This record gives sequence, C-alpha cells and structure tokens, in this order.
Amino acid sequence: MIPEWMREVSTDRCPTCTASGSTKKNFVQKTISGIFSFFEECLINDGIAKRNGLLQSLDARIKLISFIALIFAVSMTHDIRLLLLVYLLTLVFAYVSQVELLFFLKRVWVFVPIFAGIIMIPILFNVFMAGDTLIPLVTLGPGAYLGPFPLPETIAITRQGTMVALTFILRVATCVSATVLFFLTTPRDLIFKSLRALKIPKVYVLTLDMCYRYIFLLIGMVRDFFTAKKSRTIRPLPLREEQKWVGGRIGYTLKKSLDLSEKVHGAMISRGFNGDIKLMHTYSIHKRDYVACISVFAFSVLLVVASRNLIPM
Amino acid sequence: MDTVFDLRHVSYTYLRQFEALKDVNLTIRAGEQVAIIGANGSGKSTLLSILDALCFPSSGAFFAFGTLVKEEEFDTLEDNEFGRFFRKKVGFLFQNPDVQLFSSTVFDEIAFGPLQLDMPPEEINQRIEDVIEMLGIEALRDRAPHMLSGGEKKKVCIASILATNPDVLLLDEPTSGLDPRSQMWFIDLIQALAQSGKTIVTTTHDLDIIEKISTRAIVVGEDHTMKADEDSTSVMNDLDLLMSANLIHGHMHRHGRLMHEHLHAHSREHAHEHGPEVVLREGK
Repeated sequence: MIPEWMREVSTDRCPTCTASGSTKKNFVQKTISGIFSFFEECLINDGIAKRNGLLQSLDARIKLISFIALIFAVSMTHDIRLLLLVYLLTLVFAYVSQVELLFFLKRVWVFVPIFAGIIMIPILFNVFMAGDTLIPLVTLGPGAYLGPFPLPETIAITRQGTMVALTFILRVATCVSATVLFFLTTPRDLIFKSLRALKIPKVYVLTLDMCYRYIFLLIGMVRDFFTAKKSRTIRPLPLREEQKWVGGRIGYTLKKSLDLSEKVHGAMISRGFNGDIKLMHTYSIHKRDYVACISVFAFSVLLVVASRNLIPM
Repeated sequence: MDTVFDLRHVSYTYLRQFEALKDVNLTIRAGEQVAIIGANGSGKSTLLSILDALCFPSSGAFFAFGTLVKEEEFDTLEDNEFGRFFRKKVGFLFQNPDVQLFSSTVFDEIAFGPLQLDMPPEEINQRIEDVIEMLGIEALRDRAPHMLSGGEKKKVCIASILATNPDVLLLDEPTSGLDPRSQMWFIDLIQALAQSGKTIVTTTHDLDIIEKISTRAIVVGEDHTMKADEDSTSVMNDLDLLMSANLIHGHMHRHGRLMHEHLHAHSREHAHEHGPEVVLREGK
C-alpha cells in the first residue's frame, strides 16, 4: 500500500539549528493578520457597549441622530478654538462612557494622519497657497519655474497654510472621534438597526448587518489560506509564483463568497424568507434620551452660529 | 528515541485576553502515535498549530528537533535553513480541506510540496503517481480541488502532505465529516503510516478511533490545561477523566418499558455497549 520511498524515516538533524531569524517580515500575511485582529477587536469591543456608561445608557437612534447633527455642525465650523472644544468634549464623553482614553486616542489617530494628514501636506507650502512665511525652506531666487508653473522666490511653509491644515485635521479628528464613540458605545446589532431611524430601507440595514458578519468569516478564511500555505512551504517561492498564488486565492475567495451568498439565501428561504424583510427590536426612549437629543441639537446650532461670528468670541 | 517536540510551560492567549492553553508540558518522541483529545474549544487545535509552528506560545518555550522555535525564524520572507528543515519534516492536515487546497488541479496540488524539494522532475512525477495510486484518486488527477466532495478533498489533502514524505504528521480532526467507509480507510492509512515509523499526532474528540490510531493519549480539559498523558487504553478506561473533560456524559434512554442510564460519547450517536455498569429501571 505504502510506496517504498514513503517508508524512509529520516534521522538527519538540522545542520544549522542555531539559525537566527531574519528581520524581513512576511508583510502580506502580517497585513491579513492585522485586518483580522482589527475585526476581532471590533467584536470584543462589543464589551465596551455593554458597560455602564453615559453614552451606553442612551437609545441607539437618538445617539445616531445626535452624532450626525454634531458631525454636520463640526463640518461647518471653521474656528480652530471651537473645533478644539468639541474634540475635548468627545474625550470627556469617552471618559464618562468608560472607554479607555489611550485606546480611544489610538483608534482615532491611526486613521486621521492617513486620511487627513497626507492630503493636507501640499497646502502647507507657498507653492500651492500664498501666505505669510512661517518657516523658509529653499531660496530659488526670482523667475524660478517648474515647467510652465512659476515658483515663489523662497519656498516656505506658510502661517495660513498651517492654520488651514491644522483646522482640517482637527475637524477630521473630531468627526472620527464622534463616529468611533458611537460605534464603541452601541451594540453592533443596534448600530445597523438604528439606521432605520433615518428611514434607510430595511434591505440595506439587513445587508449591512450580514456583510459585517460574512466579511469577518471570509477574512478568517483568507487568513487560513495563508496559514495552510505556510505549513506546506518548505522554501520561499519565486515572486511570480507567489503573485500567481495570491491571484488564484483572490479568484477562489470571490467564487466562494458567491457560493456562500447563494447558500445563505437558500438558508433564509428555507426558514420562510419571501423577500419581505422583517426586523425586530423593542426600543425604549427615556427622558434622558430627549434631554440628550435636544442638548446636542442646541449645541450644534450654537456651534454653527458661533463659527459664523454671529456670537462674538 | 529522539525527541521531536518538547513544550515547556507553554501557554497561549488570543487577543491578550482569551486563554487557549495553560501551562502545557509535553514531550513527543520520534515514532510515537499520540492522540490529543478534548472537548470543543479546549485548545487542542491551538496546541497542534503550535506544534506546526503556525502560532507561537505567549509564554513558555517550544523546542522542535532539539531547537528552540522562534517566531522570527518562521515569519520571514527570506529562506531559512531551520524553517526549511522543519517544513520538510512536519506535515499538517487541516480540519477544513478548503483552506488547504489552493492549486488549480489535484495534480498541481500534490506536486506543490515535491517541487520545493529540488528533486529531479522524473522523481517528482513518480512520487505524485505513487501517492495518487496509493490513495486511489486516479480519477481526480485533473479535477479542480474545490469541485470535489468532502471525502475526496480530504484524500487530496493527505496526498499533498504525503508527497513530501514528512516524518511527522499532525492531523487535525482527520475523520470529521467523513462517511464510515472513508473513516475506516483513513484509520487503516494512519495505522500503515505508523507501522512505517512515522510520528503521528492527531487531535480528535471521536473516542471510537483513539485506540486505533494512537498508543498514547493526551487529554486537554475545558480549563485549557493538560489533564492526562497516558497510554490510550488507560485514558479510554478512565470514565471520570473523560467525563470531567466533557468527552462523555451521563445519558438516559428507553428500551421498550425499560429505562437505562449509561455513559455516552457523542461521536457516534448511541453507539454504546450495555455493560454491567448500566443502570436499568422500570419505565412508566
């Protein structure tokens, strides 16, 4: 039954058993593991939503509408002092909602430099926006050109550019903080169900909820692909082979996700689903919810009014 | 007998808060057939993943073939002699065949391992043919792995591992999801591989196969610690141990007018013997 070569059991020892590891990490696998850990942490963060804090005690729909109003007001605010005030308030609300501040700051500031910081870099320089010199960088002299574009005599970081960049970054950080706070302090199922308060059709609410669950499942599957390949990879493959493998796995994942969607739909049908989506949740709005909603709306209006210099500061 | 794996006070924690293994001390020697048994979520698959250097202890030390296994040796893009040696020596059968089969045809799947051994093409071909014949999967040779049935996928998975002729086989729930004939086929295969001197470590909660596939059994409890490490027969006869590890449970059912109570494993529904320990009483 067993071929002769398979009966051979090697007694060789590893020639270089003290080999030390390389510092070049397998970045593809690290990235996948990182994404998976992020999703896993998101699931664990449901624990924060169950804590006995201020924001957790509010109705999910009220929170959603209030945070949207606040984000809308923040987007219309140009005064950096007001933005700083709102940002500090989000930290206070995180604290009274029993969210660890360091964790909260990390969660917010991981994204802000990527989405806001990088795109605001050009505006710092007088090449793109004229302004008063804050830090001179390079003196080119008069008549300098970059192709058809005239350049200033001295390339510098401007005061106005810095203020615009800081205001923009702070606005993004405040909006992201509010959003993260909403997601952290609201149970996942209620996050999606609360969208119904905005009259978002049930089909989108259900689809979003299912997407969240199945993205997690598929990322887990992709991570397992890499783990299984790792266990069978005796020596690193050439780059082209690796690329081929990744391409093949992308195709397979797509095929698998389509197959899964059909099976899930079949499972829904077998349990009586006929296209009419029914969502159930008993909401209970208390006096504190009305107070919170009115306070946030009033604060948002004040913010916009103050930002338009209608209130002297 | 050479030591293949040596775990010293190994613990593993997921996401810095969920313990999967707690203070595991374990030595596996060359040529042994070991079964790791435990209830769902006890940590037996994590233990197997550590033995294959797919995940690394949160604390404690793991030695393979006398060398301390470090994450940086396995988590690198660069060629590494110990990593290569380890992967050549150890084969891992995943519980879910879909994650393990990644090539476009069964032939390519089986060829994946031997191609990395720098063997001459004719020898690679011979190996693939031998493995295909040994497992009786000639008809599957040119088929896409994801189009196969569960049992066929499992056969291709084991073929893809055996083609590199590893000395150590780590099998994660190898018989789960297989029909009875395929299960028996698999058990025969494990026995034949064991006779040829392979070291085989199997995780399972199918108590019916423990004594057929192993001579030594390790029980992982629901508290993620090792509860026993003895010969398989002793472990299988220790009903209190199996009960405490949630591998069997007390069960009462009716035979006509008689009610009776006995210990029961869920690996095979109602496959039990009515021995003297059975409590019989008159039903209503």
